[in-house]
Amino acid sequence: MNLDTLLSYEWGHMAPEFIILAVAALLSLLDLFLPKSYNRRSLAWIALVGILVAVVSLIGLLDSKSVSILHDTFRLDSFGKAFKLILLIGAACVILLAESYEPKEGLKEYRGEFYYLFLTGLLGAMVMTSSGDLITLFVGLELLSISSYILAGMRKKNPGSNEAAMKYVINGGISTAITLFGMSYLYGLSGTTNLKEMSGAMSAQAANGQFLYLYGLAFFMVLIGLSFKLASAPFHMWAPDVYQGSPTPVTAFLSVVSKTAGFVILLRIILTLFLTMPGDDTQKLSFLETHSIYISCLAGISIIAGNVIALRQRNIKRMFAYSSIAHAGYILVAISALGYFTFDAVWFYLLAYLLMNLGAFAVIQLITDSSHSEDIADFAGLYRRSPLLAAGFAVFILSLAGIPGTAGFIGKLNIFMNALMTDPGHFVLASIMIAGTVISYFYYFGIMTQMFFRPAASTEKIKVPAGIGAVVVLALAGTILFGVAPNTALDFLHNNFGSFNDFLK
Amino acid sequence: MMENAWIIPLFPLISFLLLLLLGKRLKESSAYIGIAFTLFSLLFSLLVLWERFTSPTYKIGTEWLKIGDLSITAGMEVNQLNALMLVIVSLVSFLVHMYSKGYMQGEERFSVFYAYLGLFTFAMLGLVLSPNLLQLYVFWELVGLGSFLLIGFYFYKEEAKQAAKKAFIMTRIGDVGLFIGMILLFWETGSFEYDAIFKAAAEGSISEGMITLTAIFIFIGAMGKSGQFPLHTWLPDAMEGPTPVSALIHAATMVAAGVYLVAAMFPLFSESSTALLIVAATGAFTAIFAASIGLVQTDIKRVLAYSTVSQLGYMMLALGTAGYVAGVFHLMTHAFFKALLFLAAGSVIHAVHTQNIEEMGGLWKKLKITGPLFLIGTLAISGVPLFSGFFSKDEILVSAWNHGNYILFFLALIAAFFTAFYMFRLFFLVFTGNQKKEAQNVHESPASMTIPMLILGFLAVVSGYVNTPWFGTFLGDWLTKGNHYLEHGHEDSPVWIMLAATLVSLAGITLAYMIYSKRSISRDWLGGEGSMMYNILYNKYYADEFYNLSIVRLTGIISVFFSYIDRFIVEGLVNGVTGTVQKLGKIGSRMQTGQVQQYGTIAFFGLAVLLIIFALTGGIFE
Repeated sequence: MNLDTLLSYEWGHMAPEFIILAVAALLSLLDLFLPKSYNRRSLAWIALVGILVAVVSLIGLLDSKSVSILHDTFRLDSFGKAFKLILLIGAACVILLAESYEPKEGLKEYRGEFYYLFLTGLLGAMVMTSSGDLITLFVGLELLSISSYILAGMRKKNPGSNEAAMKYVINGGISTAITLFGMSYLYGLSGTTNLKEMSGAMSAQAANGQFLYLYGLAFFMVLIGLSFKLASAPFHMWAPDVYQGSPTPVTAFLSVVSKTAGFVILLRIILTLFLTMPGDDTQKLSFLETHSIYISCLAGISIIAGNVIALRQRNIKRMFAYSSIAHAGYILVAISALGYFTFDAVWFYLLAYLLMNLGAFAVIQLITDSSHSEDIADFAGLYRRSPLLAAGFAVFILSLAGIPGTAGFIGKLNIFMNALMTDPGHFVLASIMIAGTVISYFYYFGIMTQMFFRPAASTEKIKVPAGIGAVVVLALAGTILFGVAPNTALDFLHNNFGSFNDFLK
Repeated sequence: MMENAWIIPLFPLISFLLLLLLGKRLKESSAYIGIAFTLFSLLFSLLVLWERFTSPTYKIGTEWLKIGDLSITAGMEVNQLNALMLVIVSLVSFLVHMYSKGYMQGEERFSVFYAYLGLFTFAMLGLVLSPNLLQLYVFWELVGLGSFLLIGFYFYKEEAKQAAKKAFIMTRIGDVGLFIGMILLFWETGSFEYDAIFKAAAEGSISEGMITLTAIFIFIGAMGKSGQFPLHTWLPDAMEGPTPVSALIHAATMVAAGVYLVAAMFPLFSESSTALLIVAATGAFTAIFAASIGLVQTDIKRVLAYSTVSQLGYMMLALGTAGYVAGVFHLMTHAFFKALLFLAAGSVIHAVHTQNIEEMGGLWKKLKITGPLFLIGTLAISGVPLFSGFFSKDEILVSAWNHGNYILFFLALIAAFFTAFYMFRLFFLVFTGNQKKEAQNVHESPASMTIPMLILGFLAVVSGYVNTPWFGTFLGDWLTKGNHYLEHGHEDSPVWIMLAATLVSLAGITLAYMIYSKRSISRDWLGGEGSMMYNILYNKYYADEFYNLSIVRLTGIISVFFSYIDRFIVEGLVNGVTGTVQKLGKIGSRMQTGQVQQYGTIAFFGLAVLLIIFALTGGIFE
């Protein structure tokens, strides 16, 4: 490769990534050279500005056609743009939460790292959305994972945080091993790491039953390995421990940004590779269609396990960990019932989930920090201490529970209709989803009862820091807007990203 | 005016938002904001109703949600049914707003109460205006939320907290049914719009089995909201809320939403005789079931709650026997007289500070306004001639008889007897007899409470005359006019049914009189019974014996039997399900040991299971 080819690439299409990379590098240098006494809290604003600039540059790219550079390892198609937008918004909110984060023992000199590790994690996730090659996918995945491992253990003097990091690293290692093993099959059989070429090779080879079988093995290994990132069954057990032990902004990051990235990579791999590959000798149905029952099972188990076990939890972060397992299950329903508007359903749900979950975590962070405990009882009488905060939190919870008028309802409705509109309809899965939703009312409304119907332990007013306030307001506006007028988001999606027609081209 | 009907639900919403922001500063003057905005709603509703008398149905809609090629609209519709409902809801809501000013006086969270009332009224009016099922569902949930907040208003009482939770979750079970029915209908017809669904059902493009299935699912939703057996248990518990709330939500509006839903979806139901039969049977059974439990309750509000459940059963019976007009008619009269009874009961509770009717007595002389008004309500609900309940109940009985289902007819007749009996038992125990110690310093309630009651009392008497066999069936004619899915329910009504209904209710009243008030001076309405009454009175010892041996035992047994069903089977089932879920949760959290190697093992195990299944079914061995 000579300089000319290097310069001939349209690097401008990687602008959002470059911006994040540059800001992360800038922050790490600043952190290194600033005097020790300097309060690094203000670095958060630089990170935030960086993310916002990246958003602006991404919006500037919205109109451009699908572009592939670096030998098709990096492709900026509408799929990548749509999900990158979600990741960036999520990361911006997380940075705001991190700015306001103040654990008991303080963050002291680690605060700088705290911010730029979020950015490197984000960079990994963004690379994943745009990669057209197994290698770049994997590099993005690891960049995200390794940043997250460190973030989980950011409170170095806190045993819970250490435990979380340890467990996360070990389980992450196992999941990476499984994923890589599956990818090695894919490479070994097709002889290429490029997804597009691989897809062609697979379609040609699948007529042979033995190839089909081996590709099946690869499919399952990749699926299970990636279920770690989604925190869905059977790789969900780490989530409660890690969510509980990690600093709250990191928990929010894991449950929103990291989960979104997981779904992105899952969609990339299985839709590019297994949607076009025939599923049996008759060649009528694709592999994904004949094997969607397996994804359905995982979705069902995630929904049931997440919701049922959440009933028993007294720790709010742990409860949200189980609830996030259940939400991963809901999104898997959309993927399993691959239909006309799976993309729309997944995208909208992830957007809604981002808003309502980040809003909820903002309030959780505020309450748990001020009471130094994470018990649900700390929310008792929140309505009397701070009516507006309680009302906001109530909206987020209603949205998570899927009550009409909120974005969460529309998200669930989309997935639900998607599941029933496919042929044959996924009735069992839809019923499980409804049953899971009903069970979830019990624990969600448990929190509501605490907030509205219990006397407060202290009458102390709660001071809302600017960062948290901004996140709550933004999330609240989005949750209600997309709940009342969902077309604002869906029209945006359709106008700018079409129907993801360029996904496979 | 009709094209601006969308503004009606917005008034209470504005009131809610204003009170949420300014409530703390306004304190008790919050009441004026709430009252003023609901008054606007009421005036606009009346104008809309007036205009609807002469104009055709008005409907608008815009695209709300677009998924793929599917487009879902939102909008509003003003037809006869919802124009009528608008007036009922906004009127009762306005009166309750007014009443609460006196009733809730001195309450610390006064403005919060009014804010919640506004939220609820907004949701209920929105529900009524919805032109499609999805929009209805959205407001349906919002109504449930408002009810949840209001039942739990006295949150420091453990019972209130439990009741709020129970109400929300029990009705949610019904809502899931509604949701499934709605999605199935959408799946079949590609639309949530009422019109499109009715058209598809009438043209036969939905199979008969599917019509029945979806109608039953939708009815399950109605059962949850309208407290039909076996989803009724939340309604009596909901009486832990403040009394004006019981009048508004658990008597006149929200619980009637289930009946409204069945009425609004009536063209679908009428395509399936099985679905209609299920509606009718559930209604009739609930009517007699709840009435028999009402016989032995001692809490004034619980008696009224069971009576509400029973009356809602009546309405369902009417709809199930194709008596569309009868059901809607009773919905209207019931809203007035039951709201009156609740408000009057609230006035009694306000005066004596107890809800136990055994501790009351002799209040007739003390409560000079409440007493007669309560009597009017009691007469109306008992179906005494010339009061509103008489006409609507008669219409239901006629409808059941004409439909040819004689068992249901007799069940309804017996329930009417029970109703007259327990309502007058309530009346006599509270207002006649000796004054109890607690009732020494009793005063009549302030004007803000008595004026709403007076208005409702007036309506409880006259609202029946809009649809009578004597002066013409205005309501029925109007409701069915121009709606080719509906037939006029009123064919020929045998006169003996009216006589039988009258006799049955008078018998119930007489029995109640003899048992609970025989020492009191004779009442006017007894005079009409003449000598036969006198003879029985003369032989009162014998009558008591007879009553003790037969009816008391029998009703006692029925009532005990039903409360056992209630306690052990219905509650048992509910507890069984929640218990299983809880146990699963326990097992699940026990599996979470915190051992990091175990987590990996489970993932490996999951992978292995998937691979084995794959190998056995879909792989090379095939």
